[in-house]
Amino acid sequence: MRRTLATLSLSFASAMSLLAQEEHAASAESANLLDPKVGLMFWTLIIFVFLLVVLSKFAYKPLLAAVEAREAALEKALGDAKRDRDAAALLLAEQQKALAEARAEMQKALNDGRAAAETLRAEMLEKVKAEGADMLDRTRREMQAEKEKAVAELRREAVDLAISGASKVIGRNLDSATDRALVESFLSGLDAPKGAR
Amino acid sequence: MTMTRLLRLLTTAAALLLFALPAQAQAADVDIITPHITDAHEIEIPWPTWPTMHKVVHLPRVTTFMLPGTRIEVDMSPTKHVVWMLIAALTICGLLIFAANATNRQTRTVGHAKGFAGGIEAMVLYIRNEVIIPNVGHHGNGFVPFLLTLFFFILFCNLWGIFPWGSTATGNIAVTATLALMTFFVVEVAGIRAQGIGYLGTIFYWNKDLNIVLRVMLFLILSPIELLGKFTKPFALTIRLFANMTAGHIVVLALIGMIFSFKSIASGAPFLMAVAINMLELFVAFLQAFIFTLLSSVFIGQIREAHH
Repeated sequence: MRRTLATLSLSFASAMSLLAQEEHAASAESANLLDPKVGLMFWTLIIFVFLLVVLSKFAYKPLLAAVEAREAALEKALGDAKRDRDAAALLLAEQQKALAEARAEMQKALNDGRAAAETLRAEMLEKVKAEGADMLDRTRREMQAEKEKAVAELRREAVDLAISGASKVIGRNLDSATDRALVESFLSGLDAPKGAR
Repeated sequence: MTMTRLLRLLTTAAALLLFALPAQAQAADVDIITPHITDAHEIEIPWPTWPTMHKVVHLPRVTTFMLPGTRIEVDMSPTKHVVWMLIAALTICGLLIFAANATNRQTRTVGHAKGFAGGIEAMVLYIRNEVIIPNVGHHGNGFVPFLLTLFFFILFCNLWGIFPWGSTATGNIAVTATLALMTFFVVEVAGIRAQGIGYLGTIFYWNKDLNIVLRVMLFLILSPIELLGKFTKPFALTIRLFANMTAGHIVVLALIGMIFSFKSIASGAPFLMAVAINMLELFVAFLQAFIFTLLSSVFIGQIREAHH
């Protein structure tokens, strides 16, 4: 550390002496650093204007044209991308809408089908019930008819039996219409209270 | 502690290196600084003559003439700084035209500039988009070629000054004064074009919000200041660039001179410092070109939207 310090102080001292020398030399030679030479100013102007003209024509114009072309291409690409994205978004929305519609349609169809099936089932049930009732009714009516027929048959048989029995009893043929009517009216009288059943 | 050891090691290495070189600056009163930072009628070109490694080429002299109607003598002889300005201009032309063509070609083929052309393009676009357009304001595209040329011209003059046989034309006050004067004219013409008759407001202070007594008083006080302000701007530009480049070279040369005057192990210190200052100079070359361009843009922008 001490040696470094020594080195630095030494260099500083030498620098001071050297600077003093320089000052002396400069004053002796009277270096006119702050005196602009008109000739050099003209040269600077000429060189600068030449440089400006040449660079404007052959460097900046093509360079900036290329950059601007690239910027325009980039802008266009960006615009295209944006348009494509918008179109895609539109398409997606459309498809989603269509999907939703299809789903709704399907749901509706399902509901309709279910309702139709329900109606059909109810109808069929109704029909079967009606048919069953009808059949029962008919059967009942048939049975009634059969019964009535059987009763009529039985009655006729009973009339016949009664007449033949009575004929046997009174020894003669009681086969006149009058007799038959008599018995029949009797049986009807019998039947009347029973008919309330 | 490791820092100290490292410093000592480097100092020793540098000293050993220097002892191997023949001591040239033996003469008592050799001024290596003034010839380096001033203009001359000869240039030094690289030449394989040991140990000077250069050859002096004398430039032609032209007879001087007087500017008509003045007592100003004009010497149009091409001097060292003229040569280095020309070299800088040709370097810029070569590099930028090559880069522009490459950019154009590559934009058409691969869509963007690559490599060196891409670097130049990035630089141009940075100066244009971040420095010129925001400061100059709307419709600033017309000023882009002038300001870009200013930037590259100053930059390459600075850089050629760091090149061993080179000379810093921007370290000459005539060069910086001319650049600043051009900027001054561009600024004032931009002001006249942007404001028309309102341009007079940038010289004569006439505030209609004040009562007449105050107005006249402020007019008398502020108008000379406004007028002076117009000239301090280019003056500041001139001195800033000139002083920065000259000072940097004086420091580097002083440090190099110390290497030879020490002739001991202590030479390592100025050697390291010279290397460090040279690195700084490289940065300053870019910085000063940038600052000159930035301030010119700011001045143009200011006068275009000045509404007193």
